[in-house]
Amino acid sequence: MSGCPAAQGPVVHDPSSLPADDNVNAYTFCVELAGTQWFLQKGKMIAYYGTVEFDGVGHGRLDRLVRTSFHSPLHASDWVVAGGHGKMLLADRAFDVNSYDLDDGNLTIRSGNLLAFQPSLSLKQSIVPGFLTLIGTGKFVAASNGPVVFMEPPIRVDPQALVGWADCPSPCHHYDHGYLTGVLGGLRALTGVGGASGEEHQFEFVGAGTVLLQSTETLMPERAVGEVARGAGVPGGGPCGPEGGPGAGSRPSGQLGGLQRRFGL
Amino acid sequence: MLAVELDGDAVRAKSGSMVAYDGRMTFKKLTGGGEGLRGMVTRRLTGEQLSVMEVKGHGTCWFADRATEINLVRLTGDRLHVESGNLLVTEAGLRTGTTFTGLRGASQGGGLFTTTVEGHGQAAIMSEGPAVALRVSDRHPLTVDPGAYVAHQGNVRQSFQSGVTFRTFLGEGGGEAFQIRFEGEGLVYVQPSERTTFAGEV
Repeated sequence: MSGCPAAQGPVVHDPSSLPADDNVNAYTFCVELAGTQWFLQKGKMIAYYGTVEFDGVGHGRLDRLVRTSFHSPLHASDWVVAGGHGKMLLADRAFDVNSYDLDDGNLTIRSGNLLAFQPSLSLKQSIVPGFLTLIGTGKFVAASNGPVVFMEPPIRVDPQALVGWADCPSPCHHYDHGYLTGVLGGLRALTGVGGASGEEHQFEFVGAGTVLLQSTETLMPERAVGEVARGAGVPGGGPCGPEGGPGAGSRPSGQLGGLQRRFGL
Repeated sequence: MLAVELDGDAVRAKSGSMVAYDGRMTFKKLTGGGEGLRGMVTRRLTGEQLSVMEVKGHGTCWFADRATEINLVRLTGDRLHVESGNLLVTEAGLRTGTTFTGLRGASQGGGLFTTTVEGHGQAAIMSEGPAVALRVSDRHPLTVDPGAYVAHQGNVRQSFQSGVTFRTFLGEGGGEAFQIRFEGEGLVYVQPSERTTFAGEV
C-alpha cells in the first residue's frame, strides 16, 4: 500500500520539538508555561506535557486575576486559568487558530473566536453586543473559520465574515441606501419577490487601524459574554426609556453567571 | 482522501469508504471485522462494531469518509489502539482485535472497549482536523483530553485522572475534569477538536 504524497508518516512531536507559543499546524497551537499563566476558554486544551493545573476563574487566590484581567466578571465563569510548567496544546473544533501580538494596543473580537490570552492583556466586554475587547500588551490566540485576512480601512465588510478589528475608531452599519430606497429595490426588499442580493447590509470601517476577516461567511457559534448591567443608554442592556427599568431577570453586576450557565444548561 | 495502489494484493477498509477507483477491484464484505468467528462474537459482545470490506485488485483506489483528515501510521510489529470508528484502512499484513480500555473509553464516549491493530504495515486513521503525533517517553509523560484522543501506539500505559473537586459541583471547575495520562514509550495521536463528551461539560 502506498499512500498520498505524504506517505513518509506523520511528524512526531515531543516537548523539545514543540514550538513555544506558536502554531504546531494550522489547527493546533502550543503554549509554553514556565511558571506563568494563560487564560483559556473551558475545554480547549487537547493535551499537555509537564504539570499544568486548570482552575476555574474567580475564587480563592485567583480572585485577584478577575479584578486585573476581567474588568467585567460577568463572563469569567467561561474561562479557566492554566498555570504550571510544561507545554500545552490548544485547539478548537478543528478551526484555524492563529496567535496575535498586541503591543499596548486594543483589539475587539467576536466572542466565539477568542480562544486564549496572556494575563498581561485585559479582557473587557465591548459595548458592541457579542464582542470582546482586549487591551494591553501580550499575546492571544483566536480561532477562525478559514484563514484570517487583514484589511486596511476604509472598508465595508460582510457581517458574517467579520472576526474583529484593531484600533478602528468607527465600526458602523452601512445599508445600501440607493438600492433600498429605489422603487424596484424597495419592492424586492419588502416583498422578497425577485430576491435580494444578500449584500445590502455591510459593516463599515473608516479611520486608521486593521480589520480582521475570515475567509468564509459561516459564523462560528457565539459564546455568551454575559449580561451587561441594565440601564438606559447601555447597548444590549434591555429596554430603556420610561418603562424600561431594571429587568426582572437581571442580576446585580459583579456576580458570576447563574448556576444554569455554569453547568452549561 | 487516501489513494491506495494495489497490485494484486488486498487491503481492508471501512465499509462504504471507497469514493473512486480505477483498474479492476473487487469489494468483499467481511463479517465481524474479518477476525473469524471468535472475533465476531467478541465484537458483538463488546459493541465495538467494525464494518470492513476487503478490497482486492489492480489499480488505484481512493478512500474517504465524511471529509475527515486521514493520517497514516506505520506499524513495525507494535500495536496501535484506535476507536473502531476512526479506523479507515489497514494493510493486509495487519491484524485487528478488541481490547478492554476501562474508564478512558467510557469518558470519551467510545465505550469500554477499543480496537487494536497489530503487525507490520500501514494503517490509515481518521481524525477531525490533522492529528498531531506526540511522543511519550519516561521523562515526558503526556496528558490528553479524552475528547481529543484519537489513537496511541507502542508500549504505553494509560491511567485515568480526574480533577473533579467540590468546585466542579459549584460550576467553577477547570473545564478539564477528566484526563488520560500516558506513560511509557510510544506515540499518542490527538486531534485539534474535541468530541462532545460527558467530561466536556464539567
